[in-house]
Amino acid sequence: MDHFKVENLSISFGGLKAVNNISFSVEKNSIFSIIGPNGSGKTTIFNMISGIYKPDSGRIICDGENIVGSSPDHVARKGVARTFQNIELFSNATVMDNLLLGRHIHMKTGVFAGAFMWGRGSAAAKEEIANREIVENIIDFLDLQSVRNHYVASLPYGKRKLVELGRALALEPKILLLDEPSAGMNTEEKGDLNIWIKDIQADYQVTILLIEHDMNMIMGISDRIFAMNQGEKIVEGVAAEVQCHPEVIKAYLGEDLSC
Amino acid sequence: MMFKKKMLVSVIAVWAVLCIAQAAPAAPPAGFDDNEIRIGQWGPQTGPAAPWGSVARGSKLLFDIVNEEGGINGRKIKYFIRDDMYNPAQTVGVVKELVERQGVFAFVGGVGAACGMAVKDYLAANKIPWVGPSAADQDFIQPLNPYLFAVYPLYRDEANVLAQYIVEKLNMKKVGMLYQNDAYGKDGLEGAKERLATYKMSLVAEIPVEPTEKDLASQILRLKNSGAEAVLMFVNPTAAVIALKTAANVGFKPQWISSNTLSDYPLMFKISGGLWEGVITGAFGEIPDSTHPLMVKYREAAKRLNPQERWGTFYSAGILFADPLVEALKKAGRNLSTEAVMKALNSIKDYQTIGPKINWTEKQHQGTDSVMIQKCGPNASYIQLQGWTTNDLATWKKK
Amino acid sequence: MPVGQLLVEGLAIGACYGLFATAVFWLAFVITMLFSILLGVLIEFLFLRPAKHPSILGMIVITLGAEMFLMGLASWKWGAEQKFFSLPLNPSVTYEPVKGMIINNWAIAVFAVTACIMLFLYIFFKYTKLGVAMRATQQNKHAAKIMGIRTERVFSFAWGFSSLIGAVAGMFFASRATLDPAFMMEPFLRAFAAAVLGGLMSIPGVIIGGALMGLIENFFGYYWPHWKPIIAFIVIILVLCLRPSGLFAKHYVKKV
Repeated sequence: MDHFKVENLSISFGGLKAVNNISFSVEKNSIFSIIGPNGSGKTTIFNMISGIYKPDSGRIICDGENIVGSSPDHVARKGVARTFQNIELFSNATVMDNLLLGRHIHMKTGVFAGAFMWGRGSAAAKEEIANREIVENIIDFLDLQSVRNHYVASLPYGKRKLVELGRALALEPKILLLDEPSAGMNTEEKGDLNIWIKDIQADYQVTILLIEHDMNMIMGISDRIFAMNQGEKIVEGVAAEVQCHPEVIKAYLGEDLSC
Repeated sequence: MMFKKKMLVSVIAVWAVLCIAQAAPAAPPAGFDDNEIRIGQWGPQTGPAAPWGSVARGSKLLFDIVNEEGGINGRKIKYFIRDDMYNPAQTVGVVKELVERQGVFAFVGGVGAACGMAVKDYLAANKIPWVGPSAADQDFIQPLNPYLFAVYPLYRDEANVLAQYIVEKLNMKKVGMLYQNDAYGKDGLEGAKERLATYKMSLVAEIPVEPTEKDLASQILRLKNSGAEAVLMFVNPTAAVIALKTAANVGFKPQWISSNTLSDYPLMFKISGGLWEGVITGAFGEIPDSTHPLMVKYREAAKRLNPQERWGTFYSAGILFADPLVEALKKAGRNLSTEAVMKALNSIKDYQTIGPKINWTEKQHQGTDSVMIQKCGPNASYIQLQGWTTNDLATWKKK
Repeated sequence: MPVGQLLVEGLAIGACYGLFATAVFWLAFVITMLFSILLGVLIEFLFLRPAKHPSILGMIVITLGAEMFLMGLASWKWGAEQKFFSLPLNPSVTYEPVKGMIINNWAIAVFAVTACIMLFLYIFFKYTKLGVAMRATQQNKHAAKIMGIRTERVFSFAWGFSSLIGAVAGMFFASRATLDPAFMMEPFLRAFAAAVLGGLMSIPGVIIGGALMGLIENFFGYYWPHWKPIIAFIVIILVLCLRPSGLFAKHYVKKV
C-alpha cells in the first residue's frame, strides 16, 4: 500500500492552470521537498492536500484512501498536519493553549465530560494528563519553555513560526506539511530549524513534505526533491540529480546552485 | 445564460416602468356615477399598529348599513380599504392608487397622524374631501385645509379636560406627566400645563419617553420620587404597559390617567396582565355597552353583518368618524358634486351620533373640543365617569 | 360534615391545579428553549453558511435580514399586535432590604439567571473541548479547521446556543413589557452597543458592558430624561474613538 501519493493533480483558477497534472509518491518517514520559483504552484499543492482547495482532477492517496473532496478538518483527522507560509495561529491565546488545541482530535471524552474532571482517576483526567505530557515534550523539544504562557500576538516572528510547528506536531500527524518554515528566520534560527526537522523525522516517525526557498537547507536534509515551474513538473530525484538539471538552473536563473 | 437572465430582468423592469407611466392618467377619474359613490380609507391591517386597523372596518359597517337601507339618494357606497401598515410611504402609494385608478370621491378615517400628513396636501390638490381622520394633529386644522374635516378631539384639548378632572374631581394636587416625545405627547403636555396654570399649579414631573424605549426604570423612579399622586400618560400602548409594570415593580401606585388612544380597555387589560384596571382615560365615543339608541342599533348590526369582529372602541370609532360624511352626502341630494358635499359639510352644526357634537364652518374645520372620561373596571369593563366635556380654554376656537 | 376530608381533598386538588399550571408553563418553556435552539441552528444553516467568507459587516447585514424575515413570518403567523406575556413571577412582590432600595422577584430572577448562564459559559469556554474549539474557531477559522475542528458544527452550536440565551433574555424583556414580533429590535441595538462598549470578543466584557450601559442610561436618564435614549450611543462613540476594541478586550495594534 502506498503511504502517500499524488496522482495527476490539476487545478486552475479562472483559466490559469495553477497546477497541471502533477504526480509524486512519498516514502514513509522520508523528507520530500518541493522547490520552484514563486507562483509555481507549491503552496497550491499543499492547499489541495489539506482540503482547502478542491482539485479539478486527480487523486490524493493517504494510506490507501483517496482524500480528495474531504474538508480540512477531515484531512486533519486523517493525520495530515501543516504549517502556513503566513502563520495561522490563535493569536489571542497563549503558546500553551495553541499547542493544546493541536490535541483537539485526540480528545476522546465527550462534549461536557471533559469539563469536569470527576476525580483524579477518571478517564477524562487521565486523558488530560496524557495530552499535557505530549505538549510539554514539544515545548521542551522546540525550546519554547520561556514563552509558554505568552500570548502569541506578543511573540516575534521566528518564535511564532516555531509555535505553529509545535502545534502541528501536537496533532501527532503521520504526514507533516511545512510551508517555508525558515522564512523570516535569522541564520542561527535556520540552523536550529535544520536540526529540528531532522529530529522530528527521527523522533516522531513522521513523513515530511517541505516547501523551502533556502537551497542549502533543502539540499542538506531532503531525501527526495521535486522541482516544478509554472504548475508543471520539471524533475524529481535526489539532491544531486535535481540541482544539476538544466531546467532547474534555468528556472533559478542567476542563482548559484553550485553544481 | 447569465447574460440572458440579466437581459430578461432589465426588459421586465423597463416594461413595468412604462406600464405604470402609461397608467397614470392626466386627471383622476370621477368619484361617483349614477349607481355608486366610491369612498376610501387607509389603515394598518397588518404590522405593528394592526390593532387600530379596526377603525377602517368600523366605517365599513356604517356603509353596509347605509347600503342595506337603500343607499344615499339612489346611489350605493362602494368602499375600499387599503393596508398601509402604518407606514406613511405606503399610505402615499395606496392613496394614489385609489384616487388615480379607482376614482374615489372622498376619504374617511385613516389611522396615524404621520400617515395623514403624508397625503393631506395631495388630497387637497385633487379636491378630494377627507372626513374624520383617525388622529389629531394641529397641522390638520391650522392653517385651514378646505378639504379636511376633523372629528377627533385635539390631544391638547383632551389633556386640558383630563387635568381639570384630576384637580377638580379627584382633588389631587401633585400631577406628573409621562409623554411620548413627539407631536402627540407634546400637545398633551401643553394642554395639561395650560390647565394647571389656571389653578396656579404646575406638573411635579414632566418625563419624556421615546416611542421605542423598552426600559422606563429611571422615568418611573423620577415620577415616584416627585411624589405624584396622579400620572397623566400620553404614550403608546407598549410604553403604557411597561410604565405600569415597572411602577408595580418599584411599588409606585399613583392614579394613572391616559389619553383616548389607550381607551381600548380589553386590549390594554390583556396586554398589561390586568394592571390596566383602575386606569382613567379620555374617550372620543360612547362606551361599548352604552344604551344610547344609536349604539344599540350599530351593535346589533355589527353582530349581524360582521359577527367575527370584536365590538370595541376603535371599531365604533370608525363609525363615528364616517357618520358626518354620510350626513353630508344625504344633504347634498341626488345632484351630486364635490362642491355640494363640501357645502353640506361646512354647514354641519351640532351634529351628534355616538361621538361628540360636531360643528364645521367654512373657517373652522376642527369639529369638536369635547371628550368623555371613562375608567377601566374589573375584567376590562367600561365605567363612564363624566359625559361630554368641552375645553373652555381651547385656543383654536379663539382664532 | 366531613369538613376535614373536604379540606384535604380541596387542598390536594388545588395543589394539582397549581402543579398543572406550573407544568404547562415549564413545558412551554422547555419547548420554547428547544425551538429557539433549532431556529438558531437553522438560521446559521440557511442564511450564514451559504455566504462564502462573509466580512463582519456582511454577517451583520445577513443577520439583520434574517431577523426581518423572521419578524415578517411571526407577524404573519401570530399577528403583529402586542400580546401579554408573563413569567411565573409576581412583579408586585417587592422587598426592601435597604431603605429606599426596592427589589422585586423579576429583578432577582434576572440576576440569578444571568449569573447561572455566565458561570456556565465561563466553565464551558474554559474547560470543555467544544468550548475551546469555539474560541479557536472565532479567533481563526482557517487554523481551527486545520486542527481538525469541525467548524460547521461549531457554528451550528454557537447559533443554537446564542439563540437559546436570546430567547431567555427575550422572555425576561417580554414579561416586563409586551410581546410583539418587533419588540426586541430596540433592546437588540442597545445590547449590541453594550457589547461594543465591553469588547465584542470578551464575555465578561460584554456583561460588564451591559451593566455599565444600564447604569449609565438610568443614572443619566434620571436627571436628564430627554437624553436617556441617546446617551448610550454617545458613550459608544466615545469608547470607539478612545478604545476601538472595547473597554475590556485585549487590544492589539497590528505590527507592520
